Parts: sequence; structure tokens; C-alpha cells
Amino acid sequence: MTVPAVRFTDERLANGLRLIISEDHLAPVVAVCIWYNVGSKNEVPGKTGFAHLFEHVMFQGSSHVAKTEHMALIQAAGGTLNGTTFFDRTNYFETVPSHQLELALWLEADRMGTLLDALNQENLDNQRDVVKNEKRSSYDNRPYGDWFHKLQEHVFPPEHPYHHPVIGSMEDLDAASLEDVAGFFRTYYAPNNAVLAIVGDVESRQARAWVERYFGEIPANPAIPKLGDMTLPPVLGAEARETVQERVPLPRHFFGFRAPVIADPRYDALEVAAQILAGGKGSRLYRRLVREERIAQDVAFFALGLIGGASLVAGQATVRPGVDPAVVERAFEEELEKIGREPVTDDELARARALIETYELEALQRVDERADRLAMYATLLDDPEMINRQLGRYLAVTAADIQAAAAEVLRPENRAVLTYMPALEATAGTTDEETAA
Amino acid sequence: MTLQEILSVRPSPGQPRAYDFPLFERTVLPSGMQVITVNVPDRPLVSANLLICRGAGEEPADVAGATILTARAMTEGTERYPGVELLEAGERLGATLHVDASWDAFTASVEVAASRLGAALELLAELVERPTFPESDVARLREERLNDLLQVKADPRRRVDQAFNATIYTSDSPYGRSAGGDEETVPRLTPDILRAVHRTVLDPVRTAIVIGGDLAGLDVPRMVESALGSFGDGAAAATGAPAGFPPAPRTDSAVDRPIVRFYHRPGSVQTELRIGHVGLPRRVPDFHAVQVMAAILGGLFNSRLQMNLREDKGYTYGIGAGFDMRRGAGPFSVRTAVQTPATVPSISESLAELKRMRETSVTPAELAAARDYLVGVFPLRFETPGAVVAALGGLFVHELPDDELARYRREVEAVTIDAIQKAAQDHIHPDRIAIVAVGDADVVGAELAAAGFGELEVITDEMPGAADEAGEIGEADE
Repeated sequence: MTVPAVRFTDERLANGLRLIISEDHLAPVVAVCIWYNVGSKNEVPGKTGFAHLFEHVMFQGSSHVAKTEHMALIQAAGGTLNGTTFFDRTNYFETVPSHQLELALWLEADRMGTLLDALNQENLDNQRDVVKNEKRSSYDNRPYGDWFHKLQEHVFPPEHPYHHPVIGSMEDLDAASLEDVAGFFRTYYAPNNAVLAIVGDVESRQARAWVERYFGEIPANPAIPKLGDMTLPPVLGAEARETVQERVPLPRHFFGFRAPVIADPRYDALEVAAQILAGGKGSRLYRRLVREERIAQDVAFFALGLIGGASLVAGQATVRPGVDPAVVERAFEEELEKIGREPVTDDELARARALIETYELEALQRVDERADRLAMYATLLDDPEMINRQLGRYLAVTAADIQAAAAEVLRPENRAVLTYMPALEATAGTTDEETAA
Repeated sequence: MTLQEILSVRPSPGQPRAYDFPLFERTVLPSGMQVITVNVPDRPLVSANLLICRGAGEEPADVAGATILTARAMTEGTERYPGVELLEAGERLGATLHVDASWDAFTASVEVAASRLGAALELLAELVERPTFPESDVARLREERLNDLLQVKADPRRRVDQAFNATIYTSDSPYGRSAGGDEETVPRLTPDILRAVHRTVLDPVRTAIVIGGDLAGLDVPRMVESALGSFGDGAAAATGAPAGFPPAPRTDSAVDRPIVRFYHRPGSVQTELRIGHVGLPRRVPDFHAVQVMAAILGGLFNSRLQMNLREDKGYTYGIGAGFDMRRGAGPFSVRTAVQTPATVPSISESLAELKRMRETSVTPAELAAARDYLVGVFPLRFETPGAVVAALGGLFVHELPDDELARYRREVEAVTIDAIQKAAQDHIHPDRIAIVAVGDADVVGAELAAAGFGELEVITDEMPGAADEAGEIGEADE
């Protein structure tokens, strides 16, 4: 099976906006995706949660678009849309029937060019309330809801920008002012800090003309502040442990590891390792902990790719009633140690490769996924062509690569272990990863 | 031109490209099984869904959960492939085989490269026809379900759904139960019971396989005949069950006046709310008017409920409403989570929106927004073969006409303001509505009692993991 190559053009407007266009006329749809090179890592102490709160403000209107009209216009055009904020970026995207592309571009340009004309205290206060409710429903009012935030705290040191949650704290959200919003917009929401990807049923020349027209006059910001050095030691140095007493019925362990950044071949090896460890019922952790020893209710293991010094690899196992949580932890860790000690079998590797190939093919069928990946690789790695190389990188991973990466990353002195134990009193929870508008 | 001048002109749409729902073909095998194929050129990944119109809605109350457990247990080993060997064989093809059951149907599905479709169908057939239901694995799956029920109690949004369904339906309706079974029924689900369910599943007359993707050069009906030609072989007929599709399950309402059930969970920072009643089955004559009405009420991003409770009041991160349409009448509900102090005003505003939907006509702008969304988004929904296959499976399970999807947009375009109001009056019933909530009654109980929404019952919920502090908090059955 061959995955078709994604062909695209890659250029910059005079104001620095990076424009990527990829034609695909199979379905009468087109995806527009803008990545701004700003995320929670750009936040400073006392202002956590700001990048995400700002993302909500981007739907509250601009010079020629009323509050929530962005949604109304896209939906009435038969489109879908959203925005998300994470450590390394904030993105906004629409998928529309192809004859509605100009509308989507105009809407994105109007808010990139004129957001502050419509900004007011009432809308900021309203979205602050919405975001606080998002925090409550996504994290605070969920069992085990703050696990990711706790792993962040252990895997990244306090001075590192990945240490704090994307959603922020209630106190910091309360403190966000109109001046903060305006300053953030002027600093980061400039064309030279953004990548615009357009993928689907589009004529490149027409799309380029529209982009020039609507975005071309938006001024660049010549002084986008550079982030400080985010380099980290490759391992934590010592195992970090935390036990949380919470109102949960079953104990659950979460494991976190500091890992190489995306684009490092060791990161690809860890992605393949994750498939072998916990991808499906034939995987090592599922087979041993759930099927055979029957000590866990469920298991998971996955890698979360980042660029600022380190990525995060995480795992989890829910302890069955009546089982000593220490037994589950030990079995989980033994499997991680084993994959670093002995090569995986040829059959395990062949199965993982075949599945990864299908997953890639499945994902790349959709124009929105292609637009997102092109913008992502351009923003994070300055290399949109990575969209066509990523599968080859996964397939090139050998058993020796997996063993070496696992031995280096999945070891005790690089491990954070977080255990939730059923308790009488609930602890106040905090947060997680990706937050959508 | 300045930036402001350029942006001051809103673009108008171009000429829409023609779109038609993909054409599909149907072959009926000698067994009675239908083979539905849809060729989607240049899509090398093929989706295959085997659907059997035998869902959890048909099972007797005393073995609730048997259908779903049967589906789960089918991937625990077959005659030729013990344990997970069959799943591993699928993985070598790059294919993940899934078996699942819903209220309406049993499904076995796979996504695979077109070149490996034949091999994947052989595995799918083995999985569906010859599972062994090993005693020990079935026991493990039962325990996993019981553990999952413990997790439900800890999760307010799963807990409120469970409580809402149990509230609105009478006890003889399957939809009031948890589809996966409960603490009472799951321990009864022996391998013999699962085998009996499995025999009723092997009914070719109730079965279709829908296959979509780039099928150029493939004789799909022949491949299906080769893999699944002997599917059933009289097994279902031998069970004595009546032939053909089953009747829809009973869906009587247990609620005849407004009631409030509040499940008390101390310390909740939000209240999970479900407001509604028994709704509609999929096959209703005014389906398209109901869809437009539900979009305006609680489906669009800018629905009435969202604009009021999120964008105006800031009570919630999101609120939606709609009809869960099944072969029988699934629930209609307003669904949200609101900050605890806003519980009572959130209920008031939601009820007011339901009332407004019935009593006043929608505006032409509201109609246009919903209609244009549903019509316009239709091609986006079917960008991939997987989505096309799923939609065609829906036609089979709901016994809908072949042109149902082809005429969908025309039907939506024809919906009028009057039809929307009639749909609201016919299908939204504030006079027999259930308000079910999970939240902190210590904070909102008095205000809720004073609000007079309906007969109020406050239930101190069982808190898994919590010790029996004051004698009112139940212990988790660990």
C-alpha cells in the first residue's frame, strides 16, 4: 500500500504570512487552517491560561464581524470550525464547501487585522466565565481530572514553560484584563507569526489572490519576542512520586517520562513502541495486565510530541478492585523495562508498522487533517514537507531503535508516577492538555 | 485601498460544485444477506461494516447487557484462532477488527487497504461466525463491566445520563436500562447465554454488509459470498425467533408531569443537567422538520440555548439539545454542565427556551441558518468512505428507502417555519418533563425547592471510594 504524496506550494507574503496551498479536487470541500506560533509556553507567571482565553476572544467579533457571527457565517455556509490551544501553538480552522473559501479567508483576515476594534469588557467577562466553566467541566468536576497537569508539573521543572496547564488557574483567569488581551494580540497575532494552510478543492491562483487581498495589508510585528532557552536535561534525574486522594472508585496509576522532541528519530521509535506496548488487545501491556494477570481494568501508553526541550510520554493503568496497586505498578514498569532490555519481535514490529500505515492513510484522507499537519510542520519544524516523510520515518524504525529509545527514556530515574487512591474527601482538582473553544 | 476598506466588503459565495450522495449497489446473496457496495474512486482505504439488525433493544430485562457482552466476547477467540490470534492476524493486514452492539444493531467492521479486502473479510467472517466464548474470558469481561459501573458512579456526566434514562422510561422499556447491563444482570451472563444470543445474531435475513472505497477491479459480492456465504446456516431459524426485522421496543414514558430528581454529590463545582423526556424513533414522517427545529434549539453553535446560556449568561462551556433517534423512541434531552450557583437559573432558562420553541415561530433568519447549515454541511459529512458506509448502514438498520440520503437536502430545503413550530408542539412536552441533575444539593437545594419546577426528589448518591461517613453515603461494592 502506498500513501499518496501531498503536493503543495509554500510561500510568504511580503508581510511574512506563510501560505501553503494543496489542491485536491476529490470532494467539493476545502479546509483552511491557521497556526499562530503562540501557546501556553509564551505565558508568564500570573498570566497562565491566557493564550487559551484569548482563543475564545477570537470568536467575539472584529471590525466587520459581530460577536459569534464567525460561527454563524461559517455554519450557514455549510462549514465546520473551531480553535484549539496547546503548549506550542494556537490554531483556528474551518472546513467549508469549496465555493465558500473566500468567506473563510475573509473571516480569518478580519480577526487577524481588526480584532481590537470589537474588543470590549463585556465580551471578555463573558468568555472568562465560559472558560472557567470549561475548566470545571473538563478537569475539576471529573474523576482523575487533573492527572495531566500533575504529570506536567513533575516532568517539566517550575521555571520551564511546559510546567503549567494550558487552561490556567482561576486566579490568573480572573486577573486577565482588556489591556492584557490587546497587548497579547499586538504581540503575537501578526502575519509573520502565522502559517495559513489551504487544502482541498481550490484553484491555487485564485486562493493566492484572495489571500493577498485580505491578508496582504495586515502589518507585520517586527518585534515578536523570542522565547528563552527551553533546553532540558534529557532525564528527570530521580523518580518523582505523588499520591492523590480523590473520590474515585478504583486506584489508577499515571506514568510520565521526559522524551526527545518531535523530529528526533528516537521520538518516532517511542511512537512505535507505544503501539507495541498498548495499541490494541494483542499489545504487551494489555495482554499481560488486563487479559492474563487480570490486575488492571485498562491500560494506555502514548507519546505527546513537543518541541521545547522535551516531549512527554505517558501511560496509565486502572487497578482492579481487590488488587494491590503496587502489583499493577510493578507489572507496568516491568514491561517498560523489558522493551528497553530486549528487542521486540519481528512480528510485533510488522504488526505495528502495518497498523501505523493504515492510521496514516486514514488520517490523511481528510482535507482538514492535511491542512492541520502542513501548518503544524511549518510552524513547529519549518518543514511542511515532513507530511510526506513522517510515515517513512515510522516504517524505518527498527527493533534496535525501539530498544535503545526505550532504554534511554523509560527508565526509573526519568519517571514520574502519579497514583490516585480512593479517599473520603475529594481534593481540589486542576487540569489537562488540549482545550478547544 | 486600506485594510479597513478591503475588509469592509463581505465576499459572496461562488458557484457551488454539484454534489450527489455516492451511488450504491445492492446484491442479495442466496442466504438473504444484503451486500451493499459504494465505489468511491481514489480512496484506497476500504471500509466494511457488517450490520445485523439485532440490538440490545431486543433483549429481555433479566439478561440486560447480554448483547453488548456477546459482541465484546467475540474478539476473545474463535475456533481457528484462540485468544487474540485473530486480532493479531488482522493487524498483519494493517486492519483493526471491531465488534460492537448498539440498541439497534450488532456491527463488525474493518478498515483495510483495498488489496487486502478479501483476507480481511475472511477474518471478519471467522470472528462473527465461530467465536468460542471461553468461560474464563467471559468471566473477566463481566468483571470489567462491573468495574466500569463503579466508574460510572464516579463520573457525573455518565451518572446523570444513566439516571436520566432510568427516570424517563418505564421499567419494561429497555432504553431505561444501561445497554451494557447492571450490577444485577451482568453476573448472570454466562457463556451459554452469550452463545444463545450469538445464535440469534446469525440471521442472514437481518444482515447487510456495506463496503465502500475504491473498489475498481474488485468483485465484492463474490468476495463476500466466498467469506460469508454460509453465514448463519439456519442457526437463527433454529432458535424459533420470528423471521424478519424485529418490532421496535416498548418506550412508554414513566413521567406524566414535571419532576426533578437531584442526585446530591457534595463538593461538585458544577451541576450536570439533563432535561427532557421520551423522544422519537428514527422513522418519523416529519424527520427533516425535527432536524431543523433541533438545530435551532440546541444543535448549531449559535443555537438558542447556546446564545442564551453560554454567550449571554456564561453559565456553561456548552449546551446542546436533540433527539437520539433509534428504532424505538430514544430520549429527547437538553444536555449541559453549569457552574453550581447557576443551577436554578440554568434550568429556568432551558425550560423557557423549550416553551419559546413551541409557542413562537422561528424567524426566517433562524430557519435559513439551520437549513443552510444542514444542506451545506452534507458533502462535508461524507468526505471519506467510512462516513458513507456508516450512513448506508443506517438506512438498512432503520429500514429507510434507498433514496433517503439522495433526497435529504431537498427535504431539508422544503422545511417551513410552520412545520418547525408544529414539530416543536408535537415533540417537546414541558408538561411532562424530567429534570435530572447531579450536583451539590447543599448549595442549591433550597433554591431548587423554592423554584417549583416540579415534584422534587433529592437523592444522596452513592459515592464510590468514599467511606460510609454519616450513614448516608453508600459504600462501593468492591
